[in-house]
Amino acid sequence: MKIWRALQFSLMALILTGLLAACATTPPPSSTTGDAQGQVQATDVSQQPDVKGVDSGSISSQDVADHLAIKGLKRVHFDFDQFTLTNEARVVLKQNAAYLQANSGLKAVIEGHCDERGSDEYNLALGERRASAAKQYLVSLGVNGNRLSIISYGEEKALDAQSNEQAWAKNRRAEFKAIK
Amino acid sequence: MRIFWLLTLILWLGPWAATAATEIEISAPGEQTMPLALTSFLAKDGPEVAEIAGEINEVLAADLDLTGLFRFVDPAAFLSDAGRIGLYSTQVDFTQWRLLGSEVLIKGAYTLQGDQLIVEARLFDVINRRLLTGRRYVGRTKDVRRMAHTFADQILKTLTGETGPFNQRIAYISKSSGNKELWLMDVDGHQPIRLTDHRSIVLNPDFSPRGKELVFTSYRANNPDLERTEIYTGQEAKVSSQQGLNVAGRYAPIGRELAITLTKDGNPEIYLVGFNGSIHKRLTNNWAIDIDPSWSPDSGHIVFVSNRLGNPHLFIVNVYTGETRRLTTRGKYNVTPAWSPKGDRIAFTRQQGGSFDIYTIKVDGSDERRLTFGPGNQEHPRWSPDGRFLVYSSDAGGKKGVYVMRTDGTGARRLTSPESDSNHPAWSGRW
Repeated sequence: MKIWRALQFSLMALILTGLLAACATTPPPSSTTGDAQGQVQATDVSQQPDVKGVDSGSISSQDVADHLAIKGLKRVHFDFDQFTLTNEARVVLKQNAAYLQANSGLKAVIEGHCDERGSDEYNLALGERRASAAKQYLVSLGVNGNRLSIISYGEEKALDAQSNEQAWAKNRRAEFKAIK
Repeated sequence: MRIFWLLTLILWLGPWAATAATEIEISAPGEQTMPLALTSFLAKDGPEVAEIAGEINEVLAADLDLTGLFRFVDPAAFLSDAGRIGLYSTQVDFTQWRLLGSEVLIKGAYTLQGDQLIVEARLFDVINRRLLTGRRYVGRTKDVRRMAHTFADQILKTLTGETGPFNQRIAYISKSSGNKELWLMDVDGHQPIRLTDHRSIVLNPDFSPRGKELVFTSYRANNPDLERTEIYTGQEAKVSSQQGLNVAGRYAPIGRELAITLTKDGNPEIYLVGFNGSIHKRLTNNWAIDIDPSWSPDSGHIVFVSNRLGNPHLFIVNVYTGETRRLTTRGKYNVTPAWSPKGDRIAFTRQQGGSFDIYTIKVDGSDERRLTFGPGNQEHPRWSPDGRFLVYSSDAGGKKGVYVMRTDGTGARRLTSPESDSNHPAWSGRW
């Protein structure tokens, strides 16, 4: 965690994004001016990031001590044994990138997770690759990589403990937690 | 170390034992089973305690049955000699045992004085009317199972030339306490004890081949770090805490080194590290996932999992030259390799048709054999040090449990209790 302490952004972020819908569903703590075509978000860095605490409905009861869910950053899902980003995942990550750029003081840890099938070790690696793929995509969208760290939990923190296709699909994911 | 709570006195049997051992030769289960009469141990100089005789009998029966080498003569058919203490061949009525069709006979006696327990155990060759091996164990009442396991090991040594693995331990991961912690139990599942109290996530144990020490991965510092614990002192130490994964640590059978998967360079790669985590060598260099190493017994090669050709398959790398070849060609998802201590085969898990089962394959990639056929998933095979058994995880009974079977897939049985939610076993070396 030490390295993330290094950089603090003091500039106001001015972001243009075409992803209106995303911002509409999860309004960041910013004053918004815009029109139907584009949106300009001005974020006051003095403001607290929009950390809403642990969403108990979506997180297993295991220790999440220094990780808090960030409401504006949505989780993305993956196909079985894959760490490549689906089109859906890319759409969500674009929204997340916009949110991160609108909240420039925010740092996040990206957790990579897998479904319960397969070897623990391979899934740890796969989870790491998933988190890494999400991070790299966000960086390619202009988010400073120093604000993002990754950790893999493999198959250890299932959202849904059931053993069926639906639960597995839910559990194959990368999610975003605030760094305390 | 308290090895010597158990004092083993070897009875000198003269030249008989050696010659007898070569005359009776059994090696592989299923080939030809030997008819065995296992009698109840009898009270000698102390009080009769049914529990002691019962535990000795239970342990010997379970251990010897697991070997698949014996056929038990029905105790209901036993004649008068079963009721007599016979510690010397001259005291045994071999004719009776011959009549029942038995070829080998186990007899024994125990003496309880206060809390001190003396167990005298004998294995007789019924055909040649002589003692094959005898042991006298001195300990306390609580050691009774240990004594019986040790005698089972001795029986295997006498009959096959190689000692058994029954007086060893199995480490595993269990969620019994609410969190995944490292546990230790006897090889028959008895006496489970928790070794860690990290209240985080503990994963993937491996035994040191030299001592009572384990490595495992723990998340207690919010990163999957490799840690080490000494079993009897409970002392723990960090081995490797590079940023990212420090997982699947495996002690080299020879030399002071561990194989481990690290992601410090952004991608899962296999490294050789010292016990202080210092990096000796990077073994893989590939964009793909490389993980899950297992050493050949001579420490010259490592089998590992890589998805460099698309799906996870097994590869073997020469530790010295880095030369790498593919091992598995069938299936689309082959993981958790474990190199047999004899060196000839590699056990692994394959996903097929939505579930996982255990296979073995020769080191040259030939003679692949499927060992399990459901129900549920069978994963994480690890060999016993004598190469006779595989211990593994299965969810066949609903919750995950630790199971053991022979290396031909027969004799499978659950070791952990049904409610314990346990997996990822590793068999210790000589204890």
